[in-house]
Amino acid sequence: MVIEPLSHFHGGLVLRHHKKKSCEKETRSAGLPESLVIAIKSNRGAAPRLLVEIGDRVLKGQIIAKPEHIMGSYSHAPTSGEVIDISNLPSASPDAIPALCVTLKPDGKDQWSEPTRLKKPESRQEIIDQIRAAGIVGLGGAGFPTHIKYYQAPFSDSAGNKNSTIIINGAECEPYISCDERLMLDHPHEIIIGTQWLIKAADAADAIIAIEDNIGGVKKRLMAEIKKQEITNMTVVKVPTIYPTGGEKQLVKVLTGKEVPSDQTPYSLGVIMQNVATAKAVYDAIELHKPLIERVVTVTGDSVQDPQNYLTLIGTPFSHLLALAHCSDSVDKLIIGGPMMGYAMPNAEIGIEKTTNCLLALPEDCTKPEIAPMPCIRCGDCVKVCPQELLPQQLLWYINGNDQTNDLEKARDHHVFDCIECGACSWVCPSHINLVDFYRFAKSELVYLDTKKAKSEQAQKRFEDREARLERIKAERQAKRRSKTSKLTDKSSAKVEISAVLARIKKQTEESADE
Amino acid sequence: MNKTLNTSSAPHIPSRIKVQTVMLWVCLALVPATFAHLYYFGPGILIQLVLAAVSAYLFEWWCLKWRKQPIKPFITDLSALVTAWLFVLCISPIAPWYVAVVGMFFAIVVAKHLYGGLGNNIFNPAMVAFAVILIAFPQSMSLWLPPGGFMDVGAIGNQQGLTFIEQLNWIFTGHTTSHIDAITTATPLSAIQTGLQQSFSLSEIIENPIFGDFGGLGWEWIANWLFLGGAFLLYKRIITWHIPAAVLLTTIAAATPFYLFNNDVFMSPQQHVFSGGIMLAAFFIATDPTSGCSSFKGKIIFGAGVAILTVLIRNFGAFPDGVAFAVLLMNMSAPLIDRVTVPTPYGKKTKGD
Repeated sequence: MVIEPLSHFHGGLVLRHHKKKSCEKETRSAGLPESLVIAIKSNRGAAPRLLVEIGDRVLKGQIIAKPEHIMGSYSHAPTSGEVIDISNLPSASPDAIPALCVTLKPDGKDQWSEPTRLKKPESRQEIIDQIRAAGIVGLGGAGFPTHIKYYQAPFSDSAGNKNSTIIINGAECEPYISCDERLMLDHPHEIIIGTQWLIKAADAADAIIAIEDNIGGVKKRLMAEIKKQEITNMTVVKVPTIYPTGGEKQLVKVLTGKEVPSDQTPYSLGVIMQNVATAKAVYDAIELHKPLIERVVTVTGDSVQDPQNYLTLIGTPFSHLLALAHCSDSVDKLIIGGPMMGYAMPNAEIGIEKTTNCLLALPEDCTKPEIAPMPCIRCGDCVKVCPQELLPQQLLWYINGNDQTNDLEKARDHHVFDCIECGACSWVCPSHINLVDFYRFAKSELVYLDTKKAKSEQAQKRFEDREARLERIKAERQAKRRSKTSKLTDKSSAKVEISAVLARIKKQTEESADE
Repeated sequence: MNKTLNTSSAPHIPSRIKVQTVMLWVCLALVPATFAHLYYFGPGILIQLVLAAVSAYLFEWWCLKWRKQPIKPFITDLSALVTAWLFVLCISPIAPWYVAVVGMFFAIVVAKHLYGGLGNNIFNPAMVAFAVILIAFPQSMSLWLPPGGFMDVGAIGNQQGLTFIEQLNWIFTGHTTSHIDAITTATPLSAIQTGLQQSFSLSEIIENPIFGDFGGLGWEWIANWLFLGGAFLLYKRIITWHIPAAVLLTTIAAATPFYLFNNDVFMSPQQHVFSGGIMLAAFFIATDPTSGCSSFKGKIIFGAGVAILTVLIRNFGAFPDGVAFAVLLMNMSAPLIDRVTVPTPYGKKTKGD
């Protein structure tokens, strides 16, 4: 599937990596915190149904929430203990938006629930079912439920040849984050075997593990493992380290030379992309019957004295990890994810979620902008770096430029919905304008206006339909009546009709008399 | 760790570059050409630069106060200095003092602040100023000094040149001890125009000592240094190659057919490139992002338009040089060009692939 030489996407940034400090040490276990705050969320659609109540004792691996929607995913208890609270708490999402959280007090025994001895899956459906049962979601950050991606498969050409490809995304393009690199160094075997299961699940032809060309040693370890397992349809490809090369669309372009059509998924090109940590989670689920209850989290940033990757239970509060890594009081911003796209959190009592790959603690001198935003001088630096080939400064002009007229539709015409919010434009802007904020606003505003418009159109259609229906019923009634009266004008048929009615009345009176 | 954390949105690491930095690089890129100007036409340019910069900043300060804008960030953004500098490189080094003041009034007050200040101007302020001067004070723009040595400005043959004090006197009072009329001369482009009107052939006209190998003597060296300054801006990625390449290549492409048709009347392509304001326009004026086009395709169209209009105005127009008018006309067309050159984003190039 790879087209050599590698292609490249438009724009992008060369950023300082800041990865070495956290990546040079082996992953450590974060241990058991005093309590776990597990957010019960669904990627979209209805929230999963809770299966526990306050006061329940749960065992490690026990299902605590069950999805009621295809886009939902299972949640499992990360350790044994007691449910002490169920309430809406800030979660590790944009704006720390509150979500239903189960607070679990570990009992320290870490006692597994009765393992459901599943047999090794044989069919595609069985693999997908086991992936779903383990509660696996995309661990790269978006948290898209993994099983969904395989429902459409297999992908084959007209002759029936398999020609889809699994791309394992190991290109961690954001600065500071090193959990995937560390995972590839520590667990090449698990990742390779997990990838093989994914190939089977999609009935794919082959798999590519894409890594950035600035990380040493990873390719050698993965290739050695592939050789050891005697796998022939798997390769490791180094891609240039240009932010945001780890973006799904960008990585597809680099590896295949093709662009994912604007309103479709990579699957339209026969590509399924998964994060390396997802491949490892699939291994754990199928080979070890272990649901997704832990992940590797990078704890780093200039406020952290011992940057490190930690194997962390889902629900571990940030404060526990920050204490382990000796985070100082200088922290001004606590970010989940990377510095380019991550979200700043209001406090450290929020629990790690399945998608939380990095905890970045930055002091004020790293984050504070030197100047207040200036007007856009249309220098075009944003156009140069935009990986989606948009015109960021024109978008800004249409979204912010004119208070009197609503130019959001022009922003739509200038493809605001194709923005992937990578932040490259905001980063290069010499006027320090936070461009991505404007695009987020425009997108949500346009979606809101569209829904409103659709609703009013719907209401109008309903009204018109009702009018039409009433009209129709009226017309039908009239037609019926007319046909009857026309029948009565004919003397002979009127006689028959009247006698039939009289007979019916007579019969009815007789029947009532009998009773 | 119980303090309030900062929750502003991504990106969380600051970028390296500021508006001031951009403007500063542009000023630095203008330094070599300014030195060349100084070398060939004497210290007049320094006087003009100080005059223009001081009046530009006074107008800027006044406008910001009047528009109730924060003074400090805007007064320190160096954009007014860039405007003043570009304007000064266009005008005669011995223009009377009010030329710079009136020019800067139109640049800063009219072209910039009346349109909404930094980033909102439709027209290039320096070119608005220059166009106003060309129309309002044409005689001051036709009075140039012949290129000479730095210490001996205007000295050609056994003619005595102008000293610094004499230039100062001339600029501020309009009087000088020596015979200024005997010293001043036309710019190469207006020399060509007047020459042609008097039915001289081009080859006769350029025997005048104000002409050099390609364009005007001195002018061609200023153009060379502007080219180097522009190359520096390209290297610093302040500008992209699209506009300079489009302007210069289109100038050559548009001038060649005329030259081949009749080289007695029409200037050669190299004369076009190395005379007047085309080199300045290619790297410093047409590349002004605020009044130009956004997309790469749009930039090429913009640059080509500037070049074609310049060549047409020089060959057929009433003014010797047409760069200012060409840029202003293209500024007007920029929104339209922008509208028809929206690039196709990722994933929308091949429908239904």
